[in-house]
Amino acid sequence: MFPALSNPAIKTTSYKVVIPFYIYAALSFLIACILLLTSGGAFLKHYFHPHVLAITHTMALGWGTMIILGASHQLVPVLIEGKLYSDKLAYTSFFLAAAGIPLLVYAFYQFDMGAPAKWGGRLVLLAILAYLINIIMSMSQSKSENVHSVFVFTATLWLLFTVSLGLVLVYNFTYDLMPRDPLHYLPLHAHAGIIGWFLLLVIGVGSRLIPLFLISKYTNQRLLWIIFGLINTALLIYLLIFYVTNVKGLTSIPALLILLATLLFIYYCRQAYKKRLRKQVDDQVKISILSVFMLLLPIILLLILIVMLLYSKGEKINIILTYGFMIFFGWLTAIILGMTFKTLPFIVWNKVYRKRSAAGKTPSPKDMFSHPVFKIMGITYLAGFTLFATGILTSFFLLLNAGAILLIITAALYNWNILKVVNHKPVLK
Amino acid sequence: MNVVTNNDIKCNLGLTGLYNVDDPEIGLNVVDLGLIYELNFNEEEKKVVCLMTLTTEFCPMGESIVENVTLSLQSSFQEYTVEVNLTFDPAWSYDMISENGRAFLGR
Repeated sequence: MFPALSNPAIKTTSYKVVIPFYIYAALSFLIACILLLTSGGAFLKHYFHPHVLAITHTMALGWGTMIILGASHQLVPVLIEGKLYSDKLAYTSFFLAAAGIPLLVYAFYQFDMGAPAKWGGRLVLLAILAYLINIIMSMSQSKSENVHSVFVFTATLWLLFTVSLGLVLVYNFTYDLMPRDPLHYLPLHAHAGIIGWFLLLVIGVGSRLIPLFLISKYTNQRLLWIIFGLINTALLIYLLIFYVTNVKGLTSIPALLILLATLLFIYYCRQAYKKRLRKQVDDQVKISILSVFMLLLPIILLLILIVMLLYSKGEKINIILTYGFMIFFGWLTAIILGMTFKTLPFIVWNKVYRKRSAAGKTPSPKDMFSHPVFKIMGITYLAGFTLFATGILTSFFLLLNAGAILLIITAALYNWNILKVVNHKPVLK
Repeated sequence: MNVVTNNDIKCNLGLTGLYNVDDPEIGLNVVDLGLIYELNFNEEEKKVVCLMTLTTEFCPMGESIVENVTLSLQSSFQEYTVEVNLTFDPAWSYDMISENGRAFLGR
C-alpha cells in the first residue's frame, strides 16, 4: 500500500497548445452566425446552396472540430491515463487546420472547387492525420485501456473517413472519380462526421467528464460499450445500405439504433446525476446536460423525414435544412457553450495560479468569467435557435433574421467571456 | 480518511496550511477531499515527506495542486526540506471525503 510514484503522473498538456484552438473556434462561431444573417435567404432554397455549405463547414470544422481538438489535447491524458505524446504534433494540427478551414469555407461560399477547395481539404486532412498520430502514440504509451479512449480513437478514424470523402467529393468536380453526382454522397459524408466523429467523441468524453464534474460515483463501462456498439453498427449498416441498396426506408434502421444509443446515454447521464455527491449543479453542466436532450430533436426529425420520404414525393428541403441546423446550432453548440466554461477557465487558472494559490485564497476557475453574461448568452441562444429553426421550417424570412441576430449576440457574448478568461490577471483575495 | 503521521503536533500544523489549498474544480481543500494520505517528519534530515493522491490520474489540475501542497508545507516548515510524492494505490474514492467535505458539497 502507498507506493509513491518516482515519476509523478502530473505533467499535463501546455496551455499554449490548447488556447489557440478555443480562440479560433470562438471566432468561427461568430463568423458562422454573421453568415446566418447575411445569407439567411439561402435557408429558403437548398441544402446544397454554396452559402449553406460555407456555414455548415464553418460550424463543423471551425467551431465544433477545432474546439474538440483543443479540449481533447487537454482531456485525452485524463481519458487514457497517460501523457499526450507530442505538443509539436498538436501545434501542427492547429496550424494546418487553421489555414485549411478558411480556404475551404471561402471555396464553398464562392463555389470555387478549384485550388482553394483542394488546398483547404488537403490541409484539413493533414491536420486530422497529425491529430490521429498524436492520439495513437499517446494511447500506445498509456498503461491503461478503457472505453473512453476507444471512443476517442474510433471517432478520429470516422473523422478521417469524413474528411477523406469530402476531399474526394471536391476532386470529383475536376475529375470523374465517383459514379454519381456529389449530392448523392452528401448524406454519407455528413453522417460519418455527425455520428462517427461528433456523437462518438461527445459520448466518449462526456461519459467521463459528466460524472467527474458532478462528483458522481456512477460508472457503467458495460453500458458504454453497448452504446459504442450501437453507434458503430448503425454507421456500418448505413454504409452498407448506401452502397448495396438505395431503399430509403432501410435508413430507419440506423436512425433507430442511434435513437436507442442516445436514450441509453441519457439514462447514463441521469444515473450519474442521481448518484452525485455535489448537490448544486452549475449552469455550465446544466446547459451541457440540456444538449443531450437537444440531440433527440434532430433524431426525431430524421425519423419523421424518413417516413415522409416513404409516403410522399419531393425532397422536403426545409426539413433537411432544419435537421442540419438542429445538429450544428442546436446539440453541438449547446454542449460547446456549456463545456467551454468547464474546461477553459481551468486551463487558464493552471497557468495563472499554479504557484500562487498556497499564498492565499485565489479566485476559483468559475469566477474567471462573467456569470450574468453567461446567463444572458444562454437565453439569447435558446431564443435565437428556436426562432431560426422555426424560420426554416415555416420559410418565414423575418424569423430567420431575428434568430440570426440573437445568435450573433450569443456568439459575441461567448467571445467576450472567452477573452475575459484568456486575459485573466492574477488576483489574490 | 485520517492522515498517517509520525508526529501529530507537526502534522496538525501542516494540515492547518493545507486547508487553504483547494482543488480548483471542486472548490474543496485537499485535506477534506481526502487527498493527503501521509505526512511524516524526519528530524535528523530536517525533512517533511507528504504522500498524497489526486482525484484522477493525469488530472489537468494535478501539477498545480501538487505544487501548492509543496508551497504550503514549505511555508509551514521553513527550516525543513519538503518532498511531496504521489500515489494512486489506493486510488482516491468519494468515500475519502470527510464529513466537513460532504457538508460543503451539500450532502
